[in-house]
Amino acid sequence: MNNNIVADQQPLVELGDIKKVFFTDDVETHALNNINLTINKGEYLSITGPSGCGKSTLLSLLGLLDTANSGSYQLAGHDVSSLNRDDRSKIRNKEIGFIFQSFNLISDLSVAENVELPLTYRTDLTAQQRGAMVGDSLEKVDMLHRANHFPSQLSGGQQQRVAVARAISGKPSIILADEPTGNLDSKNAQIVMALLDELHREGATICMVTHDPRSAARAQRMIEVFDGKIVADQSTEITAAIAV
Amino acid sequence: MSISLDIKYAARLLHKKPVFTVLTVLIVAIGLGLTLYTYSLLSSLVFKPLVLNNDKPVISIEGEFNESHLYRIGVDPFDLLRVRNEMDDLQDFGIYIEGTALIGKPDNNTGTRKFNAAFIEWNVFEFAGVQPILGRGFTPEDHFEGAEPVMVLSHQVWQDYFLAKEDVVGSVIMADAIATRIIGVMPEGFAFPATAQTWHPIEQNYLTPTVRTRERFYAYAHLKDNADFSTFEHKLSVLNKSIVESLPENMLWRRSVDGGYLVTLPFKKASIPQFYSIFITMFVVVFLILLLACINVGNLLLARVNERFKEIAIRVALGVPRKRLILQMLWESIFICTVGGFIAILLAGWGLELSNSVFEQMYAVNQQKPFWWHVTLDSDAILVLIIAVIMMIAITGLIPAWRALSGDFNAVLRDGTRGAQGKKAANASKALVISEIFLSCVVLVIATILLASSYSAGRADYGVETQNRITATIELPSENYKIRYGTEHQDSDTLNRTAVYYKLKTELEQMPNIEAVSFMSSLPGTGEGASYFEIEGRAALVYNENPASNSEVVARDSWRAIGMKVIQGRDFDHRDISATEATIIINESIAKEFFPDGDAVGHRVRRIGENRQGDWLTIIGVVSDTFHGSAMKTSSETYTSYYLLDTIGRSRIDIAIHYVGQQALAQKSLQQAINNVDDNVTSYHLQSYDDLIAQPMILVSAISKVFLLCGVIAVFLAASGIYAVAANGITQRTQEIGVRRALGASDNNIMRLFLTQAVSQLLIGLSIGVAISLWVVNSMTDTLVINDASYVIGLFGIPLLIIIMVLFATYVPTRKVVLMEPSFALHHD
Repeated sequence: MNNNIVADQQPLVELGDIKKVFFTDDVETHALNNINLTINKGEYLSITGPSGCGKSTLLSLLGLLDTANSGSYQLAGHDVSSLNRDDRSKIRNKEIGFIFQSFNLISDLSVAENVELPLTYRTDLTAQQRGAMVGDSLEKVDMLHRANHFPSQLSGGQQQRVAVARAISGKPSIILADEPTGNLDSKNAQIVMALLDELHREGATICMVTHDPRSAARAQRMIEVFDGKIVADQSTEITAAIAV
Repeated sequence: MSISLDIKYAARLLHKKPVFTVLTVLIVAIGLGLTLYTYSLLSSLVFKPLVLNNDKPVISIEGEFNESHLYRIGVDPFDLLRVRNEMDDLQDFGIYIEGTALIGKPDNNTGTRKFNAAFIEWNVFEFAGVQPILGRGFTPEDHFEGAEPVMVLSHQVWQDYFLAKEDVVGSVIMADAIATRIIGVMPEGFAFPATAQTWHPIEQNYLTPTVRTRERFYAYAHLKDNADFSTFEHKLSVLNKSIVESLPENMLWRRSVDGGYLVTLPFKKASIPQFYSIFITMFVVVFLILLLACINVGNLLLARVNERFKEIAIRVALGVPRKRLILQMLWESIFICTVGGFIAILLAGWGLELSNSVFEQMYAVNQQKPFWWHVTLDSDAILVLIIAVIMMIAITGLIPAWRALSGDFNAVLRDGTRGAQGKKAANASKALVISEIFLSCVVLVIATILLASSYSAGRADYGVETQNRITATIELPSENYKIRYGTEHQDSDTLNRTAVYYKLKTELEQMPNIEAVSFMSSLPGTGEGASYFEIEGRAALVYNENPASNSEVVARDSWRAIGMKVIQGRDFDHRDISATEATIIINESIAKEFFPDGDAVGHRVRRIGENRQGDWLTIIGVVSDTFHGSAMKTSSETYTSYYLLDTIGRSRIDIAIHYVGQQALAQKSLQQAINNVDDNVTSYHLQSYDDLIAQPMILVSAISKVFLLCGVIAVFLAASGIYAVAANGITQRTQEIGVRRALGASDNNIMRLFLTQAVSQLLIGLSIGVAISLWVVNSMTDTLVINDASYVIGLFGIPLLIIIMVLFATYVPTRKVVLMEPSFALHHD
């Protein structure tokens, strides 16, 4: 277990009074209500909660995939809540790595091209540098030998490993994972979780949404969301102790 | 029960989206309506064999179509006798020539009238399987020398001219000033070979000629039961080779440059050589529009399946059998295509009615409408419609059904997302866009080029004044004005004949409402064809490398009546009648091109052909340019040379009269002048000069309107189709866009990605489209003049329009998805 990896106390993410409301016809749904959350650099955090509680919305806001109706968001000391679309894209590209439940690899692109994709949106990297970064990432997830294959030629577990490689290829500040083992069998789920542990050991900041208590227990810190509010925020060591 | 539930469900879905329903039904109706219309038109006019009352197709044997003159050419009856004797595959065979007959009643107080006449073999009525309703048909004896001249009337002539009197049979009338006995009246509608109003037996020596002649006859025939057309065609080509090889030197003009002479064609096809390529083009365009309609409707239904994917996944999860699922997808197509089919019948019927009025208008003056040119919706057409509807149901229904069956329903049900668009779906989407681009390009380029050409031809300057001018054809009874060629009387006979025209001119010009009169073999704006001429001292090495000009025969003082001017030298006058060396007048274009120093007058030219040459002619004058023939025909020429009528003599010539006051009074004046000169002379094809020029353009102009309609439909289908296909393709990639956005792609990155793909699709689609368009347009240039402006509009304007449409159709839906929050895009259903 990686609970002994201590995060430094430098905050990477600071959410203050975040509110998110969805409007469907005349119905107003409060997805998130006054969320205050700080994630420190190197921290491994899991977000749990029942379906519809707002945990995926929270992850979307953290990943700048969506904007809050109100509240503040500081990422690495910079206010990102009022950035325009292109600046948000740049932040996503450089600072955030995503891992999705359904892998979301692009079927027309090969494994290497999928991993390279976020790097192609940067203007400061040469093709050679990109190639090297892709190679490192694939090697890390043990998928280098499949670099020229297409996603349809891979198993679900392999696809998710490629997705992990894509998420880390740009060396982001934080990795956001949305149910990363949701579509995998237990063996592959184990492999992917081990990969995340490994990344965390190497210093990555990880924020993971999950239903699975075993996956959640691998994180240092567990947040429970209910009805758009954080109802619990504790170390998994304490949780484990309580359970004992 | 389950089927009724499915039908009810399909009806509810269509009712729920009325715009979608109306749009798809309309697209189907337009596609099918155009197909039905074109099939009916082309099968009646071209493709369905002419069978008359016999069940065997009629074929024609004639001369090879002359593309430099654009009219059919007959063959020597001497050669047709060889065909009759040597072709074993022929069962029935007859020869004929079409012309005019000037008919005068016995009392002759109503004037002579011109009718379309068929000078034909006695077996024509047996061949057609139609017998006279009054009197008798011809017998072999009617051909014999010394036999009483006889003729058979059409039902229409009997009704209109002879007032349906039954005692007309047996009466003697004047036909071309020869006393001729009417022996029969044909039933209503019979006009074989094409436009005959009277039938006359030809002389026996044309049936069994022993020497070659300069005559041009045609043959009709049936093939034996065991013979097929292509075999006969081959056998005739072998005989043709033998005949061409045996042509004496003075008859070599019969053959074409590549040795062509005798050909056989289906009878209907033989009658429209000048329109054949336009009809085929029309068929191609309409077929492409039908394809475009199929792709559009298929795509709209496909987009609908994508919308309903979750519902389909639920049905699959509930255990719906595959057949039932396919049937459910098909119900909507069945409804849309069937309703569209019914509307198509109405549209096609309306189009055919319009076409019939165009045909009537085209041939109102010269009565030259072939009897089968009446188009209706027949049982064959309905059968074609049913087949087309079934095909459309298959294409538009099975594509969505395939899509419905090939989805990953488990994934859809599991998390409501589809992942990135599959490779197959992406390729199908690209193929649809490329198909839309190239089909639209072909249809629009062809339609635009034809439209632009016909528009500019309609505004062409023919070099003549047409306002306050009437035109007609004047025909002399050949029996009264014979020219005894090769005898001492030839010159006096010629002058005797031309004297009639000059008397008529003098009579007319003395009338207060007539300003001037012109006689010309074919007035500017009509007539067509070109012959080579050689300038003395500048002969080309090969005869056909000499320049070519249209040649017209003209009376003295004919220019002012139609607004032409003598620019250099002088007009023809009495000196030219008795001149030892013949004279000629050329037009300004020839003078400028070949005598740039302005010294054309005094030079000599002569007509030249393969192995033959005319006498030298001295140029005595240069007149202003005119344009002979329709500006849309390749046979039309800008070079024209004029010969003096007095030295040639013609039994038939065109007249143009410049009048003041009312047109009706001018027409009356012409008839009065004719009566004063010789009431056996006939005038016909009487019309305003503007109508005369417009006449050859009527069909092309009508077809251009069909192309315009096709073009408008194609723009509508192309614009809506390209947008729908592109939008559908982009919508299916919404989640992919979400992924790219999540990975840091900026708005510009996404826009560039989709626009680059659109450009590559444009390049492929336009390359194919422009190449096919050029090929089709090129095949039309044998018979049509396509001007440079039309090419520019068609080949640059249309691709530009399509580029704008595609980029717009890509930009708008992409922008819509790009503006979506990535979190929504990622979970887009």
